[in-house]
Amino acid sequence: MKIGTPKELFDGENRVAMTPASAVELQKLGHECIVETQAGVASGFSDKSYKEVGVEVVKTAAALWKTADVIAKVRVPNDDEMKRLHADQTLISFFSPVADDDKMKTAAQKGATVVAMEMIPRISRAQKMDALSSMANIAGYRAVIEAGNHFPRFFTGQITAAGKVPPAKVLVIGAGVAGLAAIGTATSLGAITYAFDVRPEVSEQVESMGAQFVFLDFDEDQKDGSETGGYAPVSSPEFAAAQLAKFCEIAPDMDIVITTALIPNRAAPELWTEDMVKAMKPGSVIVDLAAEKGGNCKLTVMDEKIVTNNGVTIIGYTDFPSRMAAQSSTLYATNIRHLLTDLTPAKDGVISHNMEDDVIRGATIVHAKTVTFPPPPPKVQAIAAKPKVKAVELTASQKRATETLAFKTQTKNQITLLAVGGSILLLAGLVAPASFMQHFIVFVLSIFIGFQVIWGVAHSLHTPLMAVTNAISSIIILGALVQIGSGSFFVILLASLAVFMTGINIFGGFLVTRRMLAMFQKS
Amino acid sequence: MDGLTTAAYVVAAILFILSLGGLSGQESAKRAVWYGISGMALAIAATLIGPGSGYWVLSLLLLTGGGAIGYQLATKVQMTQMPELVAAMHSLVGLAAIFVGFIAHFEMYRVAALIAENADMSELGTFAILIAKKTTVELNILRIELFLGIFIGAITFTGSIIAYGKLSGKVNSAAQKLPGGHFLNIGAAVVSVITLVWYFNTGGFAPLFFMTLAALFIGYHLIMGIGGADMPVVVSMLNSYSGWAAAAIGFSLGNDLMIVVGALVGSSGAILSYIMCKAMNRSFVSVILGGFGGPQGEQMAVEGEQIAIDADGVATALEEADSVIIIPGYGMAVAQAQQNVAELTRRLRAKGKVVRFAIHPVAGRLPGHMNVLLAEAKVPYDIVMEMDEINEDFPTTDVAIIIGSNDIVNPAAQDDPNSPIAGMPVLECWKAKQVFVSKRGQGTGYSGIENPLFFKENTRMFYGDAKISLDALLNKIA
Repeated sequence: MKIGTPKELFDGENRVAMTPASAVELQKLGHECIVETQAGVASGFSDKSYKEVGVEVVKTAAALWKTADVIAKVRVPNDDEMKRLHADQTLISFFSPVADDDKMKTAAQKGATVVAMEMIPRISRAQKMDALSSMANIAGYRAVIEAGNHFPRFFTGQITAAGKVPPAKVLVIGAGVAGLAAIGTATSLGAITYAFDVRPEVSEQVESMGAQFVFLDFDEDQKDGSETGGYAPVSSPEFAAAQLAKFCEIAPDMDIVITTALIPNRAAPELWTEDMVKAMKPGSVIVDLAAEKGGNCKLTVMDEKIVTNNGVTIIGYTDFPSRMAAQSSTLYATNIRHLLTDLTPAKDGVISHNMEDDVIRGATIVHAKTVTFPPPPPKVQAIAAKPKVKAVELTASQKRATETLAFKTQTKNQITLLAVGGSILLLAGLVAPASFMQHFIVFVLSIFIGFQVIWGVAHSLHTPLMAVTNAISSIIILGALVQIGSGSFFVILLASLAVFMTGINIFGGFLVTRRMLAMFQKS
Repeated sequence: MDGLTTAAYVVAAILFILSLGGLSGQESAKRAVWYGISGMALAIAATLIGPGSGYWVLSLLLLTGGGAIGYQLATKVQMTQMPELVAAMHSLVGLAAIFVGFIAHFEMYRVAALIAENADMSELGTFAILIAKKTTVELNILRIELFLGIFIGAITFTGSIIAYGKLSGKVNSAAQKLPGGHFLNIGAAVVSVITLVWYFNTGGFAPLFFMTLAALFIGYHLIMGIGGADMPVVVSMLNSYSGWAAAAIGFSLGNDLMIVVGALVGSSGAILSYIMCKAMNRSFVSVILGGFGGPQGEQMAVEGEQIAIDADGVATALEEADSVIIIPGYGMAVAQAQQNVAELTRRLRAKGKVVRFAIHPVAGRLPGHMNVLLAEAKVPYDIVMEMDEINEDFPTTDVAIIIGSNDIVNPAAQDDPNSPIAGMPVLECWKAKQVFVSKRGQGTGYSGIENPLFFKENTRMFYGDAKISLDALLNKIA
């Protein structure tokens, strides 16, 4: 199959859906790759770099759309591109199926197949193709960088000869993929980072990234976010009120606010009100990652940067991934490549569109002349395992009690063993003659030493241990040597055989042990 | 001279103890083996110049002859064949114990005859003189000691030969029993007890001979009934027996050094057996009596499917991984794949990835078998970890590769209380982000239990002979 990637037509879009690296992997699956000329230039991949890995470069978009069996691109296709789409062609791209109902129907009429990247189900198996996450990660990082660009102070606190600089305080609202990336970036720049999310169970992740979780004074059984596909559910009015009060309280302290709250298929919730913006210090920066869906702050203007009357900068860009085109193209192209790997199970360059597969079914919105959106709920439900009930922590006194108990049983066992062993020895001593008891004491002591010594042997040396014990158990040779000189021919014969066999054992055992031990080497 | 010999024995005994104690670390072990060698040399030399020995030219010749064969064996043996070699050597110790026991019996008989004739006893050897001085009670004890020495020696002899056959593939490694099962063993044991009483009362050769036959049968039949994967326990048990046999013979000859060494070896083997049994969460008796105690109830059904992957996929995942844990098992030894594993390790380490090995105590057919194989392939020992050292690191590991092991990575041991291996400590490899299983086909392991690991979402099956699969993989990883 021919996989083609056109140049993105959307204004200001720098990304590309296929990189030379991903093309190499696609070719391993048995596909041919073609790109439109200049498709990768904006993300730093020249036509030459594509040609070097055997990708065909075509002059026009029309030619590409005509020959390719699969079109991989980034942005929702525009009307021109929809015209070029033809029967039996597979289009892999972001598609926003809710907003672009018409385009979906057009594609269905033409008999093309459309796979929408944002519809990839959020289950663990599909993480490698989840472009929303990989792009959100970049957006979160870039949001902090953009904020820093407009923020007139350091992130990190410093004490210099020229005076003391307080660290910047950053608040990240919404601890999804973008939020966590923003937290990580802000903390590594040295800012004091706070984070909020309506799902209190993410507080652990937030803290692991180095931020403080902002808890509300509110008591309600929260719905587990994992039941709603990893997104936060709509919250209750009481909860919203508590949240508003908390934000009003902390707004004057914050230097940078990054909002990332989105609810699927709805307008973005308003979280940062005009009052809060007014309460902020001049020079503060707000980055609204939800600008495309109306913004978490009502003052946000989509795709623009504005400065309010009190000197607060509000950034409403929606093209953060595109601003880091080389990075985002690499990740997006890898997502596409993983998707195509699943679509080409036999690795023979033939696409097999298996509508039984949860991931493929979920992402496919047009197939076999019908619109297949919305998909049925996936067969595999949970994306995160339910938190396990924690084992009850033992109190100090309970711990001490178990320890004393263990100590007592141990003592009891030892005493019992000693008593039994001792009395058996005594009994033996009563009947056995002194000459026997002498040897017996040696025997018991040796066993005791053996037990003490062998427990210390490293597990990795158990085979050498067996070989060496084997060699020394040939000490039986002494018995044969003592007797070989005394008596009949038969005795000499048996003794000779015994000496011979133990000889094999002694030499063989020690030599093989030495050989083995010499092999053990440190790195 | 008598005093000198005893002194030499004391030194030799200390050297042997140091030799075993030195095995606590890889570096000290290299010195420890020399302690053992000097101890043995000292013991033999002291005995040769000591009282009572004769024909010492003959003895030395025989010793050198045996030594030459031993040298050949030790230098030629493949590390994968170590279990066979160890088992074969145990059989020699067992046979030597039988012979020495018989000799002692003949001497005792001869001395008794001489005493009866009131003949001149100045021509007798040391051992004979020793016997001649013994009282009736002491003679009776001597009979029991002899009897025990031969009994244990005989079991060790046939048991080790069967173990050798099973390990080298000359005997079918599945558990087999003659019709009658354990009743035959019990019967043979009863015969042994009867002959003991008989021998105790008469001191004749016949009871000793019948007992030897019965013990030989017990050794044969007991080990025949134990399957391949339980061999670590069997081999260490036989190791222990060879020690006890030496100790028993030491008692009868009144030789303290033999008693000391026998007790050391005996307890060493016993501890090894205990460790192996513990690692399988089974009692020693249940292993020796053979077979798994069937499932205690309905086992959990395994859901999902086994998803195959090819060398390309594994190579890509390894390129992306930062930390890798390899879990080798008996399959690696069978396929002789340790060199390829080592090469893979070297290449991955050269790329700056953290590669480690996780060794389950019962992996392979001999305690510590995997460690020796990896050491032979020049894998540095400080990246080869024991189960307890590494089990907690799996959640932070990118890729776990399982090569030819099955039951030791079976999650059913933890998840399914009805599984026959429930409670057995296992390597928790499924907690790694990705698991690759190199395996010949879809069959179950030794225990015949389905392994839910193969059906997990993050597991991919890399089918094929381990060596060939790894060859293919090495071609993809520069």
